[in-house]
Amino acid sequence: MQAFAPGIYPRSERLVQATRDLDRARTSQQAVDEQVERDLAELVSVQQQAGLDLLTDGMLRWQDLFRPLLEASEGLETGALTRFLDTNTFYRAPHATTAIPKLDGSLDERHVAPLPGPRLVTLPSPFALSQGTGVPALTIAENVLKPALDGIDADLIVLTEPFFGRTENATTSELEEPLAALAGGPKLALQLTFCDARQPLEQGLGELPVDAIGIDFYGTHLSDVPKGFDKLLLAGVIDARSSTLEDARELASFAERLHNEREVEQVALVPNGDLQFVSERIAREKLLRLGKAKTATVEAAA
Amino acid sequence: MKLLTHEIGSLAKPPWLVKTSAGTPLDASDVEHARAWGEKLGVDGYEELVEMLTRGDAGGNPDKAELGRWASRYALRLLESAGIEVVYDGEQQRTEMYAWAVDHSNGFEPRGTVRSFDNKYYSKSAVTAEPSLRVPYHNDEFAFLQSVANHDLKIPVTGAYTIAVWSYDEHFGPQRGRIGAGHGRSEELAARREFANDLARNVIRPNLESLIELGAKWIQIDEPGASTEADELDIFVESFNESVEGLDCFFSTHLCFSDYDLFFPAIEQMHGCKQFCVGFANYDSRELGTSGADRPGYEVISKFRDLPYEPILGLGVLDIHTDFVESPELVRDRILYATQVFGDPERIHVCPDCGLRTRSWDVAYEKLRNMVEGTKLAEEALSTAGAAR
Repeated sequence: MQAFAPGIYPRSERLVQATRDLDRARTSQQAVDEQVERDLAELVSVQQQAGLDLLTDGMLRWQDLFRPLLEASEGLETGALTRFLDTNTFYRAPHATTAIPKLDGSLDERHVAPLPGPRLVTLPSPFALSQGTGVPALTIAENVLKPALDGIDADLIVLTEPFFGRTENATTSELEEPLAALAGGPKLALQLTFCDARQPLEQGLGELPVDAIGIDFYGTHLSDVPKGFDKLLLAGVIDARSSTLEDARELASFAERLHNEREVEQVALVPNGDLQFVSERIAREKLLRLGKAKTATVEAAA
Repeated sequence: MKLLTHEIGSLAKPPWLVKTSAGTPLDASDVEHARAWGEKLGVDGYEELVEMLTRGDAGGNPDKAELGRWASRYALRLLESAGIEVVYDGEQQRTEMYAWAVDHSNGFEPRGTVRSFDNKYYSKSAVTAEPSLRVPYHNDEFAFLQSVANHDLKIPVTGAYTIAVWSYDEHFGPQRGRIGAGHGRSEELAARREFANDLARNVIRPNLESLIELGAKWIQIDEPGASTEADELDIFVESFNESVEGLDCFFSTHLCFSDYDLFFPAIEQMHGCKQFCVGFANYDSRELGTSGADRPGYEVISKFRDLPYEPILGLGVLDIHTDFVESPELVRDRILYATQVFGDPERIHVCPDCGLRTRSWDVAYEKLRNMVEGTKLAEEALSTAGAAR
């Protein structure tokens, strides 16, 4: 049993204020950088306190799931401001200006921060990054994401996929080649966030060429997980869009059901998407409960 | 041929108001901002404000409510001076469209800030009990603006559905037993419907009644969250109707930054809505031209044209997310395309995509002036075309 928290983590109220002040020319970039470092240190401390297995930098400088990759790529740029799923948060949708966009260099430490322990890094899945660009996901995988992965040292790369589960007529076979193109480096997880994964699971989501699969269990019924699922299952048991704090015992009990009823051997408890949809204060408490649930599950198993 | 221009809602707050509200000391540039804009816009008695701010700079304690009213005067004059015909005060006296509403209602608790986009964040609350109105929360502001406005007023009021969908739900829906239980969508929909309709009946409608009693002629129900959930559009429509049914006023709705196709056919049932003001420029090309191919951001407007109750379309022609200042000619072409599609220019009003609060006053002013100028160019072109027929 593991636990960790992929995705964009919320900024503290102080960092929100600092970036707001920077936009209004009331503070300096250096002051913002210093606050980012303080936020990062606090996030690392919370994850360590919670006993999470892999650390994340929370993507504190990422304004949305795509921005640093768009800024670092030739042939990709920011497009229209677009609602992110059914939230009140908007992102600048990727827009392609060439048929074969290319990552120009690699993501620097501002966007993939060094951490004092085993870490995970979150990137958009090739399917997500290709949405609306007219560029095939395979092209995105080979020319943008693969070079990005080659520059990253991580224990796990979580490829977050918010759109696939909500796209009508999408089939998991569309994901196969793009994901295969990313193999050969760090372990890969594909996490379907904020959606019902029943249909992708029926189509063979678990057979895709990645090491782990992430599922939102606020959208997906337990019984939709194939019995004996033999990959690491990133079980989205923290609702990242709700202010209600989960009961650690309920989480632990659900983890046991995954094992007992669906015969899943490898489980990592995770949020069902980016925690940035709650405030930092709430996200911190959710991380601590995630850790408590993991501990309770491990102790119960022992 | 005359095309009505109006604003949408928010404007940035002047630095002297922001800093005073935050308890931050003012500096000389803040006082200069008040002086320069007061002079530029011809704000009556602005010297009094400058003196008040200067005294504050020297250690005094300016009355925050009074400063809010000064900001309202400035914003009104900014819009009027730009040539906008129907105005408000840029919501200078409100904290923010959502926070102001929930802070003046019972049943909500704050839950911190959440990203809106980029580095922009908003305060989000949770509904923790049945919502109700503490006190009509736009009356003081409206009464004051009636006393100082030179142009007609349109009052923006945040709508029930947007308040509901922007809030966390810790009251109406189930709080436990959700993990792995499947997507209990019907349960969620029932909870949201109850929440939105409670807000419509117990918070929004009493506000509207109170404003009408004070003399309001045009109330804009702001629903930027309306299309958040594609399968909840009937809830948005139901809560709108619940809010305005039987009230004697011109009601409009503001929609923005959505896939507008989603609204159809649900809004066919919004008979009480006389005008939809909608943001399109965000999705449009910056090149000139009046053909459909030139105006990709406006493709959907024919659906508004075909609504059975024939509402007016408030045509968003300014992208509020960028400092790019639309030329009068670009504004003209957007309007001309819309009038071609509608066939009836009287069903077109001209407005920005949304409130301009994320732009500086300099940029907002330039954009609005060009919007007015572009509207005049469109009027001329339509008159010329009419005369030629």
